[in-house]
Amino acid sequence: MAEEVENSVKKGFKPHDNQDVGYVLPTLLAVGVHLLVLAISMISLPASNPESETSSVVQATLVSTETFTDQAQQVSEQQAALNAQQATEQEAETQAEQQRQRAQAEEAAAQEAEQQAAQDSQREVEREAALLAAEQEAQRRAEQAQQQAQQREEEAAVRAEEVEAQRQREAEAQQQREAEAKQEREAVEQRRREEEAQRQREAEAQQQREAEEQRRKEEEAERQREAEAQQQREAEAQQRREEEAQQQREAEEQRRREAAEAAEQAMQRQLAGEAEAAANAQQAQQAANSFTTIVRRAVEQAWLIPPGASDSLDAMLEIRLGPSGEILNISIVRSSGDTTFDRSAIQAVEHAAPFGELRDMPSEYQRDLRQFNLRFTPGDVR
Amino acid sequence: MNDNGMSIPHLIMSASTVVQVVMLLLLVGSVLSWVVIFQRSLALSKAKREYADFEETFWSGVDLNELYRDIPDEEPRSGAEHIFKAGFREFNRLLPKTRNPQAVLEGVQRSMRVAWSREEDRLSRHLVFLATVASASPYIGLFGTVWGIMGAFQSLSLSQQATLATVAPWIAEALIATAMGLFAAIPAVIFYNRLSSEATRLLGRYEAFAEEFYAILHRNVQGRDTTSG
Repeated sequence: MAEEVENSVKKGFKPHDNQDVGYVLPTLLAVGVHLLVLAISMISLPASNPESETSSVVQATLVSTETFTDQAQQVSEQQAALNAQQATEQEAETQAEQQRQRAQAEEAAAQEAEQQAAQDSQREVEREAALLAAEQEAQRRAEQAQQQAQQREEEAAVRAEEVEAQRQREAEAQQQREAEAKQEREAVEQRRREEEAQRQREAEAQQQREAEEQRRKEEEAERQREAEAQQQREAEAQQRREEEAQQQREAEEQRRREAAEAAEQAMQRQLAGEAEAAANAQQAQQAANSFTTIVRRAVEQAWLIPPGASDSLDAMLEIRLGPSGEILNISIVRSSGDTTFDRSAIQAVEHAAPFGELRDMPSEYQRDLRQFNLRFTPGDVR
Repeated sequence: MNDNGMSIPHLIMSASTVVQVVMLLLLVGSVLSWVVIFQRSLALSKAKREYADFEETFWSGVDLNELYRDIPDEEPRSGAEHIFKAGFREFNRLLPKTRNPQAVLEGVQRSMRVAWSREEDRLSRHLVFLATVASASPYIGLFGTVWGIMGAFQSLSLSQQATLATVAPWIAEALIATAMGLFAAIPAVIFYNRLSSEATRLLGRYEAFAEEFYAILHRNVQGRDTTSG
C-alpha cells in the first residue's frame, strides 16, 4: 500500500514530457517571426519616407531681395499699391479705413519712388549722351586733323611743283641768254677782227656795249641772286610750315592720348565702383538671407493653415519692421482671394513677431531688411 | 534627417536608457510569447490527434486488459490514455481488496479525476504567461512612451528654438515603445483565446471519455456483483 502510494506520488510529480512538444522548434519559429517582421518593416520603410518629407511644413518664401534693387522694389510697390486698392475694394466692409491708409501710404511711396526712378533714368541717359558726344567729338576732331594734314600735304606738293617749274624756266632763259651773249661776243670779235679799223670808231659803242653787257651781267647776277634768295625763302617757309604742321600734329596726338587716358580712367573708376557695389550687394544678400531664414522659420511655425484652404492659394504680404524688429505695418501685397487664408497669414506674422534677430544683423543693412515681402503657399505642404 | 534619423533602428539606438530597457523587455516578452504560441499550438494539435487515435482503438472492441498492457508504464502518449490507465489500474488494484463495488468505483473515479486535473494542468501550461504578456505589455510600452516624452520635453526646455523638427525624433522614438508593446500584446491576446478554448474543448472530451469509461467499469462491477452475489 505504501509502495503503491509512493509509486503514484512519484508518477504524479514526474512530468510527462514525451507528451509535450520540445521547445527548440517553437523558439526557432518565434525568432523567425520576429526577424520576418523586422525585415518587412525595413523594406516598407522607404515607402513611408515620402510621408515624412511632408514634415517640411510651410513654404513661406521671402522676396526680400527686391529691397536691394531699386527698380524691382518700385515695381513691386506699384503692384502693391494696385493690389492694395483691389484688396480695399474686396474687403471694404472690414478693414476699409486701415487699407485706405495703407494704400495711400504706399501710393505716396510709389510716387516718390517713381520720381526717383525718373530722375535716375534721366541722369543715366544724360551721362550716356555725354559719353557718346565726347566720343563723337573726338572722332570728328581726329577726322578733321587728318583732312587738314592731307590738304596741307597737297598744297605743299603743288607749291613744290610750281617752284621747280619756275626754276626750270629761269634756267632755260639763262642758257638762252648765255648762248645769245656768246654769239654776240663772237660776232663782235669777228667784227673786231674783220673790222679792226672800225674798232676805234666803234670803241665807244663797244665800250657802251660792254658797259651794257656788264650791266646786263650784273642784272643777271642780281636776278640770279634774287631767285636764289627767293628759293631759299620759299624753302625756309616750307620747312617752317612743315614744322608747324608736325607740331600741330603732335599736339593733337597728345591731346587725343590724354583724352583716351581720361576715358580709360573714368572707365576704370566706373568698374571699381561697380565691383564695390557688387561686393556690397553680396554682403547685404548674405545678411538678408540669414535674417529671412530666421523670419521664415518663425512664421512657418506660427502659421496655422486654415483647414479649408486649397493648395493653389498664394498670398503675398509686405511687412515693415521697426528698428528693434517689432512690426510696424503688415499689408497684403497680393491677396489669395480667400480672406480667412489672408488673415491666417497675417496672424502668423503677428504671432512670430518681434524679430529681435534684426539687431544682430550688420547695422548698415538693417534699414534694408526692415521691409520685405513674405509669400504664403500651402500648396507644397499637402 | 529623414532617411537616416527617422529610421526605426536609428531611433531605437538613440533612445534613452529607460526606454531602451523597456523595449528590450517588450522584445523578450514578444519572443517568449511567440515561443509559447508555437509550442502550445503544436502540443495541442498533437494531443488532439493522439486522442483521436486512442479513441478509435478504445472503441474498436479491443480487450481492455490488452489495451492496458499495451500502454507503456511510465509514459502514456496522450491525456485520454493517461486517464484510462489511471482508472483501470485503480480498478484492478481495488477489486481484489474490497467486496464493496461502491468503494471500488469511488476509488476509480477519484484517480481518474486526479489524472484529468493533471492533464488540465499540462494542456493549459504557459497559457497564463500569454495572458500576462497580453495584458501587461501595452502598459509597459505606454510607460516607455511616457518616459521618452518626458525626456523629450525636458530637453526641449533646454533648447533655444523649439521647432517641430527638434521634437519629432524624440516623440517618434518614444512611440516606438508603445508600438512594440502592442506588437507583443496583440498576438498574445489572440492566441491566448484560441489556445485556451482549444484546451478547454480537449479537456471536455477527456471528461466525456472518463465518464464513458467509468460507465463501462460500473457496468462491469454491477455484473460481477450479481454473478458473485
